[in-house]
Amino acid sequence: MALARNIIDIAVAAAEKEKADRIIGVNVVVGELRGIIPAQLIFCFGLMSENTLAAGAHLNLETRPLLGRCRTCQEDFAVKDYMYVCPRCEGQDIEIVSGTELRVRDIEVE
Amino acid sequence: MKINVMTDILEANDRIAAVNRQLFDSHKNLVLNLMSSPGAGKTMLLEKTAQALRGKLRLGVIVGDVETARDKERLEKYDLPVVQLNTGSACHLDANMIASALPHVDLTNIDVLVIENVGNLVCPAEFRVGEDFKIMILSVTEGDEKPLKYPLMFRESSLLLINKIDLLKYTNFNLDEAKANARKVNPNIEIVDISCVTGEGISDWAAWLSGCYKRKFGTNSLA
Ligand SMILES: Nc1nc2c(ncn2[C@@H]2O[C@H](COP(=O)(O)OP(=O)(O)O)[C@@H](O)[C@H]2O)c(=O)[nH]1
Ligand SMILES: [Mg+2]
Ligand SMILES: [Zn+2]
Repeated sequence: MALARNIIDIAVAAAEKEKADRIIGVNVVVGELRGIIPAQLIFCFGLMSENTLAAGAHLNLETRPLLGRCRTCQEDFAVKDYMYVCPRCEGQDIEIVSGTELRVRDIEVE
Repeated sequence: MKINVMTDILEANDRIAAVNRQLFDSHKNLVLNLMSSPGAGKTMLLEKTAQALRGKLRLGVIVGDVETARDKERLEKYDLPVVQLNTGSACHLDANMIASALPHVDLTNIDVLVIENVGNLVCPAEFRVGEDFKIMILSVTEGDEKPLKYPLMFRESSLLLINKIDLLKYTNFNLDEAKANARKVNPNIEIVDISCVTGEGISDWAAWLSGCYKRKFGTNSLA
């Protein structure tokens, strides 16, 4: 999983910049649409972080639901079951406002 | 101590993809990132495409599929520039792998560059490589519920090719259901039914390609 590698690289770079000795935790924001399987990502992270500053660190995944905004009437709503249809006006021109995130939010170091 | 990071996990990849994209644009290349499950028919589609575009648009291919090293040989029969990437055990292509292949591709002699991604419905959808469009193949031997199982790939794709429709009568694949599922995940997706064996729909696909090329460059094709 390349994502685990990227997460480790980002976390280690941030820790090195602050001259930290060790990373204890990594908090990652993951949108629902990303279809990430948490157990898999956490497993890869554990394996690939060996012998890095992030060895033994806890990977915490904070998931964000899929939210849409109707471009016709500006209604915000939760997209359930991938139904991109506005519940208020039945418009189908929907902008995704949340649910595609994939970022390292912060890390806990010592 | 807590350190704020706020770094997009794909940022490094997307930066390289943007550089690739600039290079493609400056060479007047329309670039497509072709994704599917293993065996859905990516290489065979490219064989058909080479024939359909002959004399109209010059096709080039970067093959990144690890499963079949013979893909390159299959395509070279059609007199195309084909570059095979050595992806090892990678489950997708990323922008850096494409950047490393580009010195081996003569972009000046290509109008349409198709990148055959690794056969996988998950990871390839995450990574931009510098393409104009992501497109995908779903074959009728796979099941019409696939769009709901792998929403990101269908969401990211501009075009869905439903392949192997010559086999429809031997499967319980419901074409209408598959299209409804794909549109549920991505209301803007275009869908073309094809068979690489009978050639059905290949001219529609070629027309889609020419249309994209024309929209991007305002000209029909090579002189
Ligand atoms: N019946 C039928 N078989 C096809 C069709 N397209 C591809 N195939 C077969 O599917 C297999 C996999 O095709 P290939 O192009 O190698 O798939 P790839 O792994 O996605 O590149 C091959 O045996 C092809 O002959 C089609 O439209 N109909
Ligand atoms: Mg292939
Ligand atoms: Zn609305």
